[in-house]
Amino acid sequence: MSTQDDNGTARVIPNWESCIDCGACEVACQRTWDLPPESDRIQVVALAHGTDDETNKPMQCYNCRDAPCIDVCPTEALHYSQSDTVRVDAGRCIGCHYCGVGCPFGAPQYPDGEVPEADEENLMGAKSDGLMDKCTTCEPRQEQGLEPACSSECPTDALLFGTPEELSERLEEDDTTQPFDEEAAAIIFGDDADMIVGGD
Amino acid sequence: MAVEITFELPYTQWDWKVGFYIALIGIASGAYLMGYLADVRSRRHDEREHGRIAKWGYLTGLVGVGIGGPVLLSHLATPFRAMMVPLIMTNFGSWMAIGPYLLGGLVVGSLLLFLWVAFGRERPHGPSVTTEGEGAAADGGRDVASDGGTDSGPAKAATGGQAGGIRNVFNRVGILDYLDALADRTRPTETVRLGIGALFGVFAAGVLVYSAMAYGTGPADRVPLWDKTYLIPVQVFSGLGAGAAVAVGLAALEKRSVGRTIQSYSLVASGLLAATLVAVLATVALLPEQVPAAEPAVENMLSTYATLFVGGAILGGLVLPILLSVGAVVGQRRDALSPTAATGAYVAAGVLVIVGKITLALTYLLAAEFTAIPLPM
Repeated sequence: MSTQDDNGTARVIPNWESCIDCGACEVACQRTWDLPPESDRIQVVALAHGTDDETNKPMQCYNCRDAPCIDVCPTEALHYSQSDTVRVDAGRCIGCHYCGVGCPFGAPQYPDGEVPEADEENLMGAKSDGLMDKCTTCEPRQEQGLEPACSSECPTDALLFGTPEELSERLEEDDTTQPFDEEAAAIIFGDDADMIVGGD
Repeated sequence: MAVEITFELPYTQWDWKVGFYIALIGIASGAYLMGYLADVRSRRHDEREHGRIAKWGYLTGLVGVGIGGPVLLSHLATPFRAMMVPLIMTNFGSWMAIGPYLLGGLVVGSLLLFLWVAFGRERPHGPSVTTEGEGAAADGGRDVASDGGTDSGPAKAATGGQAGGIRNVFNRVGILDYLDALADRTRPTETVRLGIGALFGVFAAGVLVYSAMAYGTGPADRVPLWDKTYLIPVQVFSGLGAGAAVAVGLAALEKRSVGRTIQSYSLVASGLLAATLVAVLATVALLPEQVPAAEPAVENMLSTYATLFVGGAILGGLVLPILLSVGAVVGQRRDALSPTAATGAYVAAGVLVIVGKITLALTYLLAAEFTAIPLPM
Protein backbone atom coordinates (compact mmCIF):
# COMPACT_ATOMS: atom_id res chain seq x y z
CA MET A 1 0.00 0.00 0.00
CA SER A 2 1.41 3.35 -1.00
CA THR A 3 1.65 6.61 0.82
CA GLN A 4 1.10 10.02 -0.81
CA ASP A 5 2.11 9.96 -4.44
CA ASP A 6 1.30 11.62 -7.71
CA ASN A 7 -1.69 9.39 -8.32
CA GLY A 8 -3.95 11.17 -5.88
CA THR A 9 -4.51 11.78 -2.22
CA ALA A 10 -4.09 8.68 -0.07
CA ARG A 11 -6.93 8.18 2.38
CA VAL A 12 -8.16 5.67 4.93
CA ILE A 13 -11.60 4.32 4.10
CA PRO A 14 -13.65 1.61 5.77
CA ASN A 15 -14.26 -1.89 4.54
CA TRP A 16 -17.28 -2.11 6.74
CA GLU A 17 -18.21 -5.71 6.18
CA SER A 18 -14.96 -6.70 7.86
CA CYS A 19 -15.30 -4.58 11.00
CA ILE A 20 -15.76 -6.65 14.13
CA ASP A 21 -15.90 -3.68 16.53
CA CYS A 22 -12.73 -4.71 18.34
CA GLY A 23 -11.58 -1.10 18.88
CA ALA A 24 -8.00 -1.84 17.81
CA CYS A 25 -8.02 1.19 15.49
CA GLU A 26 -9.03 3.49 18.35
CA VAL A 27 -6.30 2.14 20.58
CA ALA A 28 -3.67 2.32 17.83
CA CYS A 29 -4.52 5.95 17.12
CA GLN A 30 -4.52 7.04 20.75
CA ARG A 31 -1.32 5.16 21.55
CA THR A 32 0.55 6.39 18.47
CA TRP A 33 -0.28 10.03 19.08
CA ASP A 34 -0.48 9.93 22.87
CA LEU A 35 -4.00 11.31 22.70
CA PRO A 36 -6.10 12.00 25.78
CA PRO A 37 -8.97 9.57 26.36
CA GLU A 38 -11.52 12.16 25.22
CA SER A 39 -10.02 12.27 21.74
CA ASP A 40 -11.72 10.16 19.09
CA ARG A 41 -9.88 10.78 15.87
CA ILE A 42 -11.24 7.41 14.83
CA GLN A 43 -14.20 5.77 16.49
CA VAL A 44 -16.23 2.65 15.95
CA VAL A 45 -19.78 3.94 16.05
CA ALA A 46 -23.19 2.35 16.01
CA LEU A 47 -25.32 3.44 13.07
CA ALA A 48 -29.09 3.00 13.07
CA HIS A 49 -28.84 2.30 16.77
CA GLY A 50 -31.74 0.32 18.19
CA THR A 51 -33.07 -0.80 14.82
CA ASP A 52 -32.78 -4.02 12.86
CA ASP A 53 -30.28 -2.24 10.62
CA GLU A 54 -27.93 -1.43 13.47
CA THR A 55 -24.34 -1.84 12.46
CA ASN A 56 -20.94 -0.84 13.80
CA LYS A 57 -18.56 1.04 11.58
CA PRO A 58 -15.21 2.77 12.05
CA MET A 59 -15.44 6.44 11.15
CA GLN A 60 -12.90 9.20 10.89
CA CYS A 61 -12.02 12.14 8.66
CA TYR A 62 -11.89 11.14 5.00
CA ASN A 63 -9.96 14.27 3.95
CA CYS A 64 -12.68 15.19 1.48
CA ARG A 65 -11.77 16.57 -1.92
CA ASP A 66 -14.67 19.04 -1.55
CA ALA A 67 -14.42 19.43 2.19
CA PRO A 68 -17.49 21.20 3.63
CA CYS A 69 -15.56 21.95 6.81
CA ILE A 70 -13.05 24.08 4.92
CA ASP A 71 -15.81 26.03 3.18
CA VAL A 72 -17.60 26.96 6.40
CA CYS A 73 -14.64 27.55 8.72
CA PRO A 74 -14.80 31.30 9.48
CA THR A 75 -11.14 31.62 10.42
CA GLU A 76 -9.58 29.45 7.72
CA ALA A 77 -8.16 27.27 10.46
CA LEU A 78 -9.08 24.36 8.22
CA HIS A 79 -7.15 24.13 5.00
CA TYR A 80 -5.62 21.71 2.54
CA SER A 81 -2.07 20.61 3.17
CA GLN A 82 0.47 20.23 0.37
CA SER A 83 -0.63 16.62 0.08
CA ASP A 84 -4.26 17.73 -0.34
CA THR A 85 -5.37 16.35 2.99
CA VAL A 86 -7.41 18.48 5.38
CA ARG A 87 -5.45 20.04 8.22
CA VAL A 88 -6.51 22.14 11.19
CA ASP A 89 -4.38 24.99 12.43
CA ALA A 90 -4.87 24.96 16.19
CA GLY A 91 -3.52 28.49 16.32
CA ARG A 92 -6.48 29.82 14.31
CA CYS A 93 -9.33 27.56 15.45
CA ILE A 94 -11.85 29.24 17.76
CA GLY A 95 -13.85 26.10 18.57
CA CYS A 96 -17.12 27.38 17.05
CA HIS A 97 -18.25 23.88 15.94
CA TYR A 98 -19.32 25.16 12.52
CA CYS A 99 -17.20 22.42 10.94
CA GLY A 100 -19.05 19.95 13.15
CA VAL A 101 -22.33 21.13 11.66
CA GLY A 102 -20.90 21.10 8.14
CA CYS A 103 -19.19 17.70 8.13
CA PRO A 104 -21.55 14.93 6.93
CA PHE A 105 -19.42 12.27 8.62
CA GLY A 106 -19.11 13.59 12.16
CA ALA A 107 -15.34 13.74 11.94
CA PRO A 108 -14.57 16.93 13.87
CA GLN A 109 -13.89 16.36 17.54
CA TYR A 110 -13.52 18.95 20.27
CA PRO A 111 -11.63 17.27 23.11
CA ASP A 112 -11.31 19.16 26.37
CA GLY A 113 -8.40 17.15 27.69
CA GLU A 114 -5.08 18.66 28.63
CA VAL A 115 -1.94 17.70 26.76
CA PRO A 116 1.64 17.85 27.98
CA GLU A 117 3.31 21.18 27.30
CA ALA A 118 5.90 19.56 25.04
CA ASP A 119 3.18 18.19 22.77
CA GLU A 120 1.59 21.59 22.36
CA GLU A 121 4.59 22.78 20.40
CA ASN A 122 4.24 20.24 17.64
CA LEU A 123 0.60 19.49 17.29
CA MET A 124 -0.97 17.91 14.30
CA GLY A 125 -4.46 18.90 15.17
CA ALA A 126 -5.59 20.44 18.41
CA LYS A 127 -5.94 17.58 20.90
CA SER A 128 -7.27 19.81 23.67
CA ASP A 129 -8.95 22.94 24.98
CA GLY A 130 -12.18 22.42 23.07
CA LEU A 131 -10.53 23.18 19.73
CA MET A 132 -11.25 21.12 16.64
CA ASP A 133 -9.25 17.95 16.28
CA LYS A 134 -9.41 15.21 13.69
CA CYS A 135 -7.56 12.39 11.98
CA THR A 136 -4.25 13.48 10.45
CA THR A 137 -3.90 10.37 8.28
CA CYS A 138 -0.72 9.81 10.31
CA GLU A 139 1.25 12.05 7.97
CA PRO A 140 4.53 11.68 9.92
CA ARG A 141 4.23 7.90 9.65
CA GLN A 142 3.62 8.21 5.93
CA GLU A 143 6.82 10.24 5.61
CA GLN A 144 8.60 7.20 7.03
CA GLY A 145 6.91 4.95 4.50
CA LEU A 146 4.42 3.58 7.03
CA GLU A 147 0.67 3.25 6.79
CA PRO A 148 -1.55 5.10 9.25
CA ALA A 149 -1.64 3.36 12.61
CA CYS A 150 -5.32 2.40 12.41
CA SER A 151 -5.20 0.63 9.07
CA SER A 152 -1.84 -0.87 9.96
CA GLU A 153 -3.13 -2.51 13.12
CA CYS A 154 -6.66 -3.45 12.07
CA PRO A 155 -6.77 -7.25 12.45
CA THR A 156 -9.50 -7.78 9.87
CA ASP A 157 -8.44 -5.30 7.17
CA ALA A 158 -11.56 -3.27 7.82
CA LEU A 159 -9.60 -0.10 7.14
CA LEU A 160 -8.08 0.32 3.71
CA PHE A 161 -5.44 2.89 2.89
CA GLY A 162 -4.39 4.20 -0.50
CA THR A 163 -5.01 6.51 -3.41
CA PRO A 164 -8.41 6.33 -5.13
CA GLU A 165 -6.98 4.02 -7.77
CA GLU A 166 -5.44 1.70 -5.20
CA LEU A 167 -8.59 1.70 -3.11
CA SER A 168 -10.67 0.89 -6.16
CA GLU A 169 -8.45 -2.09 -7.01
CA ARG A 170 -8.54 -3.28 -3.43
CA LEU A 171 -12.32 -3.09 -3.21
CA GLU A 172 -12.60 -4.97 -6.49
CA GLU A 173 -10.16 -7.66 -5.38
CA ASP A 174 -12.01 -8.22 -2.13
CA ASP A 175 -15.38 -8.04 -3.86
CA THR A 176 -16.72 -5.96 -1.01
CA THR A 177 -19.63 -3.58 -0.81
CA GLN A 178 -18.84 -0.04 -1.88
CA PRO A 179 -18.21 1.94 1.26
CA PHE A 180 -20.01 5.11 0.18
CA ASP A 181 -23.04 6.09 -1.82
CA GLU A 182 -22.64 8.44 -4.77
CA GLU A 183 -23.28 11.60 -2.75
CA ALA A 184 -20.67 10.74 -0.16
CA ALA A 185 -18.17 9.56 -2.76
CA ALA A 186 -18.51 12.85 -4.65
CA ILE A 187 -17.76 14.81 -1.49
CA ILE A 188 -14.80 12.65 -0.54
CA PHE A 189 -13.18 11.84 -3.86
CA GLY A 190 -14.35 14.65 -6.12
CA ASP A 191 -13.57 13.81 -9.73
CA ASP A 192 -12.20 10.42 -8.68
CA ALA A 193 -15.53 9.34 -7.17
CA ASP A 194 -16.33 7.08 -10.10
CA MET A 195 -13.35 4.89 -9.26
CA ILE A 196 -14.90 4.10 -5.92
CA VAL A 197 -18.60 3.85 -6.72
CA GLY A 198 -18.06 2.12 -10.03
CA GLY A 199 -18.96 4.70 -12.65
CA ASP A 200 -17.87 4.10 -16.18
CA MET B 1 -17.34 -1.17 22.16
CA ALA B 2 -19.18 0.93 19.63
CA VAL B 3 -20.88 4.04 20.84
CA GLU B 4 -24.22 5.29 19.63
CA ILE B 5 -23.76 7.79 16.83
CA THR B 6 -25.23 11.24 17.39
CA PHE B 7 -24.62 12.86 14.03
CA GLU B 8 -28.32 13.46 13.56
CA LEU B 9 -28.63 16.16 16.23
CA PRO B 10 -27.28 19.65 15.56
CA TYR B 11 -27.85 20.44 19.23
CA THR B 12 -24.85 18.26 20.05
CA GLN B 13 -22.73 20.86 18.22
CA TRP B 14 -24.55 24.08 19.10
CA ASP B 15 -26.13 24.37 22.52
CA TRP B 16 -28.55 26.89 24.05
CA LYS B 17 -26.01 29.69 23.87
CA VAL B 18 -26.19 29.75 20.09
CA GLY B 19 -30.00 29.98 20.21
CA PHE B 20 -29.85 32.72 22.80
CA TYR B 21 -27.36 34.65 20.68
CA ILE B 22 -29.37 34.29 17.49
CA ALA B 23 -32.51 35.51 19.27
CA LEU B 24 -30.85 38.56 20.82
CA ILE B 25 -29.08 39.75 17.69
CA GLY B 26 -32.41 39.43 15.84
CA ILE B 27 -34.14 41.62 18.42
CA ALA B 28 -31.22 44.07 18.42
CA SER B 29 -31.17 44.53 14.66
CA GLY B 30 -34.97 44.80 14.49
CA ALA B 31 -34.98 47.39 17.27
CA TYR B 32 -32.29 49.45 15.55
CA LEU B 33 -34.21 49.46 12.29
CA MET B 34 -37.49 50.41 13.98
CA GLY B 35 -35.63 53.09 15.92
CA TYR B 36 -34.16 54.49 12.75
CA LEU B 37 -37.56 54.50 11.06
CA ALA B 38 -38.92 56.49 14.00
CA ASP B 39 -35.91 58.79 13.88
CA VAL B 40 -36.58 59.62 10.24
CA ARG B 41 -40.30 60.08 10.78
CA SER B 42 -39.68 62.37 13.71
CA ARG B 43 -38.51 65.07 11.33
CA ARG B 44 -42.01 65.44 9.94
CA HIS B 45 -44.42 64.32 12.61
CA ASP B 46 -44.88 64.22 16.36
CA GLU B 47 -41.23 64.64 17.11
CA ARG B 48 -41.17 63.70 20.78
CA GLU B 49 -42.92 60.31 20.62
CA HIS B 50 -41.07 59.20 17.52
CA GLY B 51 -37.92 60.27 19.30
CA ARG B 52 -38.69 58.06 22.26
CA ILE B 53 -39.02 55.03 20.01
CA ALA B 54 -35.79 56.00 18.25
CA LYS B 55 -33.90 56.34 21.52
CA TRP B 56 -35.09 53.04 22.96
CA GLY B 57 -34.70 51.28 19.64
CA TYR B 58 -31.05 52.28 19.43
CA LEU B 59 -30.44 51.35 23.05
CA THR B 60 -32.11 47.97 22.56
CA GLY B 61 -29.82 47.40 19.58
CA LEU B 62 -26.81 48.15 21.71
CA VAL B 63 -27.89 46.06 24.69
CA GLY B 64 -29.03 43.14 22.54
CA VAL B 65 -25.64 42.74 20.91
CA GLY B 66 -23.95 43.62 24.19
CA ILE B 67 -25.55 40.60 25.87
CA GLY B 68 -25.80 38.24 22.92
CA GLY B 69 -22.21 38.71 21.81
CA PRO B 70 -20.58 37.66 25.08
CA VAL B 71 -22.97 34.71 25.37
CA LEU B 72 -21.80 33.45 21.98
CA LEU B 73 -18.17 34.07 22.89
CA SER B 74 -18.65 31.92 25.99
CA HIS B 75 -19.66 29.09 23.67
CA LEU B 76 -16.34 29.26 21.84
CA ALA B 77 -13.18 27.49 22.91
CA THR B 78 -11.05 30.61 22.44
CA PRO B 79 -13.22 33.70 22.94
CA PHE B 80 -10.34 36.15 23.04
CA ARG B 81 -8.95 34.85 19.77
CA ALA B 82 -12.41 35.15 18.23
CA MET B 83 -12.60 38.79 19.33
CA MET B 84 -9.71 39.68 17.04
CA VAL B 85 -12.17 39.75 14.18
CA PRO B 86 -10.15 41.44 11.43
CA LEU B 87 -7.21 39.13 12.03
CA ILE B 88 -9.08 35.88 12.47
CA MET B 89 -12.38 36.08 10.56
CA THR B 90 -10.95 35.88 7.07
CA ASN B 91 -13.13 33.38 5.22
CA PHE B 92 -15.74 35.66 3.70
CA GLY B 93 -17.40 32.70 2.07
CA SER B 94 -18.71 31.74 5.50
CA TRP B 95 -21.60 33.58 7.15
CA MET B 96 -19.93 32.84 10.46
CA ALA B 97 -17.15 35.19 9.38
CA ILE B 98 -19.43 37.79 7.79
CA GLY B 99 -21.64 37.99 10.89
CA PRO B 100 -19.11 39.55 13.28
CA TYR B 101 -18.44 42.40 10.84
CA LEU B 102 -22.17 43.06 10.52
CA LEU B 103 -22.53 42.98 14.30
CA GLY B 104 -19.60 45.36 14.66
CA GLY B 105 -21.37 47.83 12.36
CA LEU B 106 -24.61 47.45 14.31
CA VAL B 107 -22.84 48.12 17.61
CA VAL B 108 -21.09 51.24 16.29
CA GLY B 109 -24.30 52.51 14.69
CA SER B 110 -26.40 51.90 17.79
CA LEU B 111 -23.80 53.52 19.99
CA LEU B 112 -23.45 56.66 17.88
CA LEU B 113 -27.15 57.13 17.21
CA PHE B 114 -28.07 56.52 20.83
CA LEU B 115 -25.44 58.99 21.98
CA TRP B 116 -26.67 61.63 19.58
CA VAL B 117 -30.41 61.27 20.34
CA ALA B 118 -30.19 60.73 24.10
CA PHE B 119 -27.53 63.19 25.15
CA GLY B 120 -26.53 66.79 24.66
CA ARG B 121 -28.10 70.22 24.72
CA GLU B 122 -28.88 70.08 21.02
CA ARG B 123 -30.16 66.54 20.84
CA PRO B 124 -32.98 65.90 18.39
CA HIS B 125 -36.43 65.21 19.83
CA GLY B 126 -35.20 66.74 23.08
CA PRO B 127 -36.91 69.46 25.04
CA SER B 128 -36.75 72.95 23.60
CA VAL B 129 -34.68 74.86 26.06
CA THR B 130 -34.34 78.58 25.93
CA THR B 131 -33.61 79.56 29.48
CA GLU B 132 -32.90 77.80 32.70
CA GLY B 133 -36.14 76.78 34.26
CA GLU B 134 -38.02 76.48 31.01
CA GLY B 135 -36.26 73.26 30.33
CA ALA B 136 -38.15 71.25 32.84
CA ALA B 137 -41.45 72.63 31.65
CA ALA B 138 -40.64 71.98 28.03
CA ASP B 139 -39.67 68.48 28.90
CA GLY B 140 -43.00 67.84 30.45
CA GLY B 141 -42.08 68.85 33.92
CA ARG B 142 -40.04 67.13 36.51
CA ASP B 143 -40.67 63.46 35.97
CA VAL B 144 -39.83 62.21 39.41
CA ALA B 145 -41.01 58.70 38.69
CA SER B 146 -38.54 58.06 35.92
CA ASP B 147 -35.96 60.54 36.98
CA GLY B 148 -35.58 59.53 40.56
CA GLY B 149 -35.25 63.11 41.63
CA THR B 150 -31.99 64.34 40.21
CA ASP B 151 -30.51 67.61 41.20
CA SER B 152 -31.76 70.07 38.62
CA GLY B 153 -28.76 72.30 38.37
CA PRO B 154 -28.04 74.54 35.43
CA ALA B 155 -26.38 71.84 33.38
CA LYS B 156 -29.26 69.46 33.81
CA ALA B 157 -31.83 72.09 32.99
CA ALA B 158 -29.91 73.26 29.98
CA THR B 159 -29.82 69.77 28.53
CA GLY B 160 -33.39 69.00 29.23
CA GLY B 161 -32.92 68.13 32.84
CA GLN B 162 -35.09 65.28 33.90
CA ALA B 163 -35.63 63.86 30.45
CA GLY B 164 -36.24 60.30 31.45
CA GLY B 165 -34.83 57.40 33.35
CA ILE B 166 -31.90 56.60 31.11
CA ARG B 167 -30.33 60.03 31.52
CA ASN B 168 -30.86 59.74 35.22
CA VAL B 169 -28.92 56.49 35.28
CA PHE B 170 -25.93 58.19 33.68
CA ASN B 171 -26.38 61.18 35.94
CA ARG B 172 -26.11 58.96 38.99
CA VAL B 173 -23.01 57.34 37.60
CA GLY B 174 -21.63 60.84 37.23
CA ILE B 175 -20.97 60.87 33.50
CA LEU B 176 -24.08 62.66 32.20
CA ASP B 177 -22.32 66.00 31.70
CA TYR B 178 -19.46 64.27 29.93
CA LEU B 179 -21.83 62.39 27.61
CA ASP B 180 -23.82 65.56 26.92
CA ALA B 181 -20.66 67.40 25.97
CA LEU B 182 -19.41 64.50 23.88
CA ALA B 183 -22.70 64.22 22.04
CA ASP B 184 -22.86 67.93 21.23
CA ARG B 185 -19.25 67.96 20.13
CA THR B 186 -19.57 64.98 17.80
CA ARG B 187 -23.13 65.26 16.51
CA PRO B 188 -23.23 66.12 12.79
CA THR B 189 -26.05 67.96 11.05
CA GLU B 190 -29.40 66.20 11.01
CA THR B 191 -29.05 65.24 7.37
CA VAL B 192 -25.63 63.74 7.92
CA ARG B 193 -26.72 62.07 11.15
CA LEU B 194 -29.62 60.35 9.44
CA GLY B 195 -27.33 59.44 6.57
CA ILE B 196 -24.98 57.76 9.01
CA GLY B 197 -27.98 56.05 10.59
CA ALA B 198 -28.98 54.71 7.17
CA LEU B 199 -25.47 53.42 6.54
CA PHE B 200 -25.48 51.47 9.78
CA GLY B 201 -29.05 50.46 8.99
CA VAL B 202 -27.59 48.39 6.18
CA PHE B 203 -25.49 46.58 8.77
CA ALA B 204 -28.59 46.09 10.95
CA ALA B 205 -30.51 44.66 8.01
CA GLY B 206 -27.54 42.38 7.37
CA VAL B 207 -27.64 41.18 10.97
CA LEU B 208 -31.35 40.44 10.57
CA VAL B 209 -30.56 38.18 7.61
CA TYR B 210 -27.51 36.79 9.41
CA SER B 211 -29.78 35.73 12.28
CA ALA B 212 -31.25 33.25 9.80
CA MET B 213 -28.04 32.34 7.97
CA ALA B 214 -26.19 31.71 11.24
CA TYR B 215 -28.16 28.46 11.46
CA GLY B 216 -25.89 27.09 8.77
CA THR B 217 -25.64 27.78 5.06
CA GLY B 218 -23.94 26.41 2.00
CA PRO B 219 -22.07 23.21 2.79
CA ALA B 220 -23.40 23.38 6.34
CA ASP B 221 -26.97 23.56 5.07
CA ARG B 222 -27.85 19.98 5.82
CA VAL B 223 -30.57 20.63 8.38
CA PRO B 224 -33.91 20.56 6.53
CA LEU B 225 -35.74 22.44 9.29
CA TRP B 226 -33.46 25.41 8.68
CA ASP B 227 -34.59 25.74 5.07
CA LYS B 228 -33.89 29.37 4.30
CA THR B 229 -37.03 29.87 2.22
CA TYR B 230 -39.00 29.57 5.44
CA LEU B 231 -36.42 30.56 8.04
CA ILE B 232 -35.50 33.97 6.59
CA PRO B 233 -39.09 35.33 6.76
CA VAL B 234 -39.45 33.93 10.28
CA GLN B 235 -36.25 35.60 11.46
CA VAL B 236 -36.82 38.91 9.64
CA PHE B 237 -40.42 39.36 10.80
CA SER B 238 -39.75 38.17 14.33
CA GLY B 239 -36.66 40.36 14.67
CA LEU B 240 -38.47 43.47 13.48
CA GLY B 241 -41.63 42.68 15.48
CA ALA B 242 -39.79 41.87 18.68
CA GLY B 243 -37.49 44.87 18.30
CA ALA B 244 -40.46 47.20 17.85
CA ALA B 245 -42.38 45.67 20.76
CA VAL B 246 -39.38 46.01 23.08
CA ALA B 247 -38.83 49.64 22.06
CA VAL B 248 -42.53 50.38 22.67
CA GLY B 249 -42.41 48.63 26.05
CA LEU B 250 -39.38 50.62 27.16
CA ALA B 251 -40.83 53.89 25.89
CA ALA B 252 -44.03 53.18 27.81
CA LEU B 253 -42.11 52.31 30.96
CA GLU B 254 -40.03 55.47 30.74
CA LYS B 255 -42.92 57.92 30.91
CA ARG B 256 -45.71 55.69 32.19
CA SER B 257 -47.78 57.08 29.35
CA VAL B 258 -48.24 56.28 25.69
CA GLY B 259 -49.63 58.66 23.08
CA ARG B 260 -51.12 57.91 19.69
CA THR B 261 -47.79 57.82 17.91
CA ILE B 262 -46.31 55.13 20.12
CA GLN B 263 -49.63 53.30 19.95
CA SER B 264 -49.13 53.19 16.20
CA TYR B 265 -45.73 51.60 16.68
CA SER B 266 -47.36 49.06 18.94
CA LEU B 267 -49.79 48.20 16.14
CA VAL B 268 -46.89 47.91 13.69
CA ALA B 269 -45.16 45.54 16.11
CA SER B 270 -48.34 43.48 16.36
CA GLY B 271 -48.57 43.29 12.57
CA LEU B 272 -44.99 42.08 12.31
CA LEU B 273 -45.54 39.51 15.04
CA ALA B 274 -48.66 38.32 13.20
CA ALA B 275 -46.54 37.97 10.05
CA THR B 276 -44.07 35.92 12.09
CA LEU B 277 -46.90 33.71 13.25
CA VAL B 278 -47.97 33.12 9.66
CA ALA B 279 -44.38 32.32 8.62
CA VAL B 280 -43.96 29.86 11.51
CA LEU B 281 -47.29 28.17 10.80
CA ALA B 282 -46.36 27.97 7.11
CA THR B 283 -43.14 26.23 8.13
CA VAL B 284 -45.06 23.66 10.12
CA ALA B 285 -47.73 23.12 7.48
CA LEU B 286 -45.82 23.35 4.22
CA LEU B 287 -42.17 22.58 4.84
CA PRO B 288 -42.64 18.81 5.36
CA GLU B 289 -44.53 18.63 2.07
CA GLN B 290 -41.87 20.49 0.13
CA VAL B 291 -38.88 19.05 1.96
CA PRO B 292 -39.85 15.58 3.24
CA ALA B 293 -36.58 15.29 5.15
CA ALA B 294 -37.83 18.07 7.43
CA GLU B 295 -40.79 16.02 8.64
CA PRO B 296 -39.07 14.45 11.68
CA ALA B 297 -37.92 17.85 12.92
CA VAL B 298 -41.37 19.41 12.51
CA GLU B 299 -42.77 16.39 14.31
CA ASN B 300 -40.29 17.04 17.10
CA MET B 301 -41.54 20.61 17.37
CA LEU B 302 -45.10 19.43 17.75
CA SER B 303 -44.44 16.55 20.13
CA THR B 304 -41.20 16.43 22.12
CA TYR B 305 -40.82 20.21 22.20
CA ALA B 306 -44.51 21.14 22.03
CA THR B 307 -44.40 22.95 25.37
CA LEU B 308 -41.49 25.07 24.25
CA PHE B 309 -42.77 25.65 20.72
CA VAL B 310 -46.53 25.93 21.09
CA GLY B 311 -46.62 27.20 24.65
CA GLY B 312 -43.52 29.38 24.76
CA ALA B 313 -42.87 30.54 21.22
CA ILE B 314 -46.34 30.61 19.64
CA LEU B 315 -48.75 31.41 22.47
CA GLY B 316 -46.44 33.18 24.91
CA GLY B 317 -44.13 34.87 22.44
CA LEU B 318 -46.48 35.79 19.59
CA VAL B 319 -50.21 35.42 20.28
CA LEU B 320 -50.25 36.90 23.78
CA PRO B 321 -48.06 39.93 22.91
CA ILE B 322 -50.28 40.62 19.89
CA LEU B 323 -53.40 40.50 22.04
CA LEU B 324 -51.83 42.65 24.75
CA SER B 325 -50.55 45.28 22.32
CA VAL B 326 -53.71 45.54 20.24
CA GLY B 327 -55.87 45.36 23.35
CA ALA B 328 -53.94 48.16 25.02
CA VAL B 329 -54.19 50.41 21.97
CA VAL B 330 -57.91 49.80 21.54
CA GLY B 331 -58.47 50.24 25.26
CA GLN B 332 -56.58 53.54 25.29
CA ARG B 333 -58.32 54.92 22.25
CA ARG B 334 -61.71 54.13 23.76
CA ASP B 335 -60.66 55.55 27.11
CA ALA B 336 -61.36 52.18 28.64
CA LEU B 337 -57.87 51.61 29.99
CA SER B 338 -55.94 53.54 32.60
CA PRO B 339 -52.43 54.74 31.68
CA THR B 340 -51.01 52.39 34.28
CA ALA B 341 -52.82 49.37 32.88
CA ALA B 342 -51.86 50.31 29.33
CA THR B 343 -48.22 50.74 30.35
CA GLY B 344 -48.34 47.35 32.02
CA ALA B 345 -49.69 45.77 28.84
CA TYR B 346 -46.99 47.30 26.60
CA VAL B 347 -44.23 46.34 29.02
CA ALA B 348 -45.59 42.81 29.39
CA ALA B 349 -45.73 42.48 25.60
CA GLY B 350 -42.12 43.63 25.37
CA VAL B 351 -40.97 41.09 27.93
CA LEU B 352 -42.99 38.28 26.36
CA VAL B 353 -41.57 38.82 22.87
CA ILE B 354 -38.03 38.55 24.24
CA VAL B 355 -38.87 35.29 25.98
CA GLY B 356 -40.75 34.10 22.90
CA LYS B 357 -37.91 34.94 20.52
CA ILE B 358 -35.42 33.04 22.65
CA THR B 359 -37.83 30.13 22.96
CA LEU B 360 -38.39 30.04 19.21
CA ALA B 361 -34.65 30.03 18.53
CA LEU B 362 -34.09 27.24 21.04
CA THR B 363 -36.90 25.20 19.50
CA TYR B 364 -35.31 25.51 16.07
CA LEU B 365 -32.06 24.19 17.55
CA LEU B 366 -33.46 21.43 19.73
CA ALA B 367 -35.95 20.01 17.24
CA ALA B 368 -33.60 20.10 14.26
CA GLU B 369 -32.12 16.97 12.77
CA PHE B 370 -29.37 16.55 10.21
CA THR B 371 -30.16 14.86 6.93
CA ALA B 372 -29.25 11.20 7.07
CA ILE B 373 -25.55 10.53 6.92
CA PRO B 374 -24.70 9.65 3.30
CA LEU B 375 -23.44 6.13 3.87
CA PRO B 376 -24.82 2.85 2.61
CA MET B 377 -26.67 1.17 5.47
